Amino acid sequence: MENMQNRMSWLKEHLRNEWQIYVMLAPTIIWFIVFLYKPMYGLQIAFKDYSIFRGVANSPWVGFEHFHTLFGSDQFLRAVKNTFMISMLSLCFGFPMPIILALMFNEITNQVFKKTAQTIVYLPHFISTVIIAGIVITAFSPSAGIVNTFLEWLGFESIYFLIKPEWFRPIFIGSGIWQEAGFSSIVFLAAIAGVSPSLYESAVVDGASRWQMMWKITLPAILPTIIIMLIIRIGNLLEVGFELIILLYQPSTYSTGDVINTLIYRQGLQGAQYDLAAAAGLFNATVAFVLVMTANTISKRYSRTSLW
Amino acid sequence: MAGVELKKIVKKYGNTQVVHGIDLVVEEKEFVVLVGPSGCAKSTTLRMVAGLEEITGGEITIDGRVCNTIAPKDRDVAMVFQNYALYPHLNVYENIAFGLRIRKEKKANIEASVEEVAEILGLTEYLERRPADLSGGQRQRVAMGRAIVRHPKVFLFDEPLSNLDAKLRTQMRAEIKRLHKRLGVTSIYVTHDQVEAMTLADRIVVMQDGRIEQIGTPMELFNNPVNTFVAGFIGSPPMNQIDAEVQKSSTGYFVEIDGAKIKLPKLKELEGAEGKTVVVGLRPEHFELGKVKGLNNLPVELDLVETLGSEALLHAMVANTPFVVKAETNGSIDHLEDISTVSINTDLIKVFDKETGLAMGHPTSTNS
Ligand SMILES: Nc1ncnc2c1ncn2[C@@H]1O[C@H](COP(=O)(O)OP(=O)(O)O)[C@@H](O)[C@H]1O
Ligand SMILES: [Mg+2]
Repeated sequence: MENMQNRMSWLKEHLRNEWQIYVMLAPTIIWFIVFLYKPMYGLQIAFKDYSIFRGVANSPWVGFEHFHTLFGSDQFLRAVKNTFMISMLSLCFGFPMPIILALMFNEITNQVFKKTAQTIVYLPHFISTVIIAGIVITAFSPSAGIVNTFLEWLGFESIYFLIKPEWFRPIFIGSGIWQEAGFSSIVFLAAIAGVSPSLYESAVVDGASRWQMMWKITLPAILPTIIIMLIIRIGNLLEVGFELIILLYQPSTYSTGDVINTLIYRQGLQGAQYDLAAAAGLFNATVAFVLVMTANTISKRYSRTSLW
Repeated sequence: MAGVELKKIVKKYGNTQVVHGIDLVVEEKEFVVLVGPSGCAKSTTLRMVAGLEEITGGEITIDGRVCNTIAPKDRDVAMVFQNYALYPHLNVYENIAFGLRIRKEKKANIEASVEEVAEILGLTEYLERRPADLSGGQRQRVAMGRAIVRHPKVFLFDEPLSNLDAKLRTQMRAEIKRLHKRLGVTSIYVTHDQVEAMTLADRIVVMQDGRIEQIGTPMELFNNPVNTFVAGFIGSPPMNQIDAEVQKSSTGYFVEIDGAKIKLPKLKELEGAEGKTVVVGLRPEHFELGKVKGLNNLPVELDLVETLGSEALLHAMVANTPFVVKAETNGSIDHLEDISTVSINTDLIKVFDKETGLAMGHPTSTNS
């Protein structure tokens, strides 16, 4: 009892001295509660036969029925497969790009050229996804698109890229890289900027070439940053940029382009099957949670670097 | 000659010139220290020798070979940096081996060399540790190890001890000196600390604003500073410098300081200099306490006695200038509190031209 009292008085004292810190923390906590924790209440409809007329609380429980439906549905299984394929491919091709870009920028000595090149690769990040999609659709258009014009100029037949399932993933992943690689490279450039110049000078005197310095100094120095970014990336693995998919895909490319989130969108919002969509979303979130936990644990064990 | 020679070295950053034609010959096996206040271009000069900075003008010769356009790696020099420049992701062994690996030495050679160096520097137990797990002194030793493992012709040190605390600095200073004795490699050492310069150097190069003020052995600089700058820089505490007007009497030239007559040494520059203002230089170490017959007696009004242990610093104002006298304590400072006169031998007095700052009667030959 006395212990409790001590703690209370300590807490009072602590709050009186440090209240500014809690005030600064408040907006973030409130944001989390309002936009992330409160909506979790609605998650229960994944286990209910939800009707908007009865509301969340009054809809009857149905257990795992929606999950049975999902896993029995070819469309859902296809979406799971597509999600994994697209995220894996964009991880393999998209993740190294910003690192390579940052290393390349770091080797440019002409400051004017460097600044110009950086600005050019950052720009697509600031363009709205709708416009990006517009640019992609225009560029790959069979009649006037620059890609097909070029192909024809080289003597090939023009291809209607956007209705061909086999072209959907390369185009989607490629445009994703084009949009984000430059901006993502900022993190790695910042990490490189933190490396003491005397490490390079010392290596120069020791006789290291630029290539050796990149491999033996720059890369190891930014490795912790790379790992942290990789963990975050793996946690978001299933969060494929579905706005861009919705804007780019067509029924003819569903076979390679339809992912869990676009399926949720079509069935849940357009088809008003909220409960089924919630179940699919919950599945997505659970897998993502397991992924980020696993990545973090592995990294903590083998590289002494982790998110928490 | 595995020495280093700098001929009329000039360095400009854009339009700003920071090194103004430096001439310096470092003999084989010599330990030369560049010393001067912060920003006087010591590092820049050293980095030009290493090849880390381009040379704007002049010529640098290492081991008889002109090096201006030779890449750093081909100059056969090793450099120790102030912040040690250790690779944080490599352990001590790999840090020391780095230069050898870059040069694709044989594995067995690398192992033997690293172990030998670790032995010399007392790092054998720490070979597996990362730099983050070492103390400042150990890191410093690893940095030294990286330099000596390659057996370069010349060592370059840029303030290698400045990040250490005072005690460790003294210890490492002695270690560097011993190492130089043992290896006998030509060394150029940069520091802003004149004590470090005095203790380490075979010869000291005093620099100011990108120019060499004086080159000489520690004792030459202490006994015969070429100008007021060197006089104020070398020695701790620095030489007292008092402005006074030259007067003539039947026995020679003298000045009057706070009413006391101070006889000046016989110098040909003083002839006919009556009425001219000169700077009188008096080393704090050269005084005797109290009135002494046959010496120049100077009245002082002490405002502070600083105890150092075996010695004490007596602070006073003389001719409106801060003035310091160094005295033996002999175990007590009681007898120092009420000193009112100090005395100095005329032969120990330095005289500088007030306008040029140059020492009168200086054996100019030292400034080769
Ligand atoms: N990269 C640079 N660009 C412009 N000025 C520089 C550069 N490096 C050094 N300087 C200038 O050159 C002068 C000498 O610098 P430095 O050699 O580092 O002095 P020290 O080592 O004696 O303290 C300083 O005035 C400094 O501002
Ligand atoms: Mg410096």
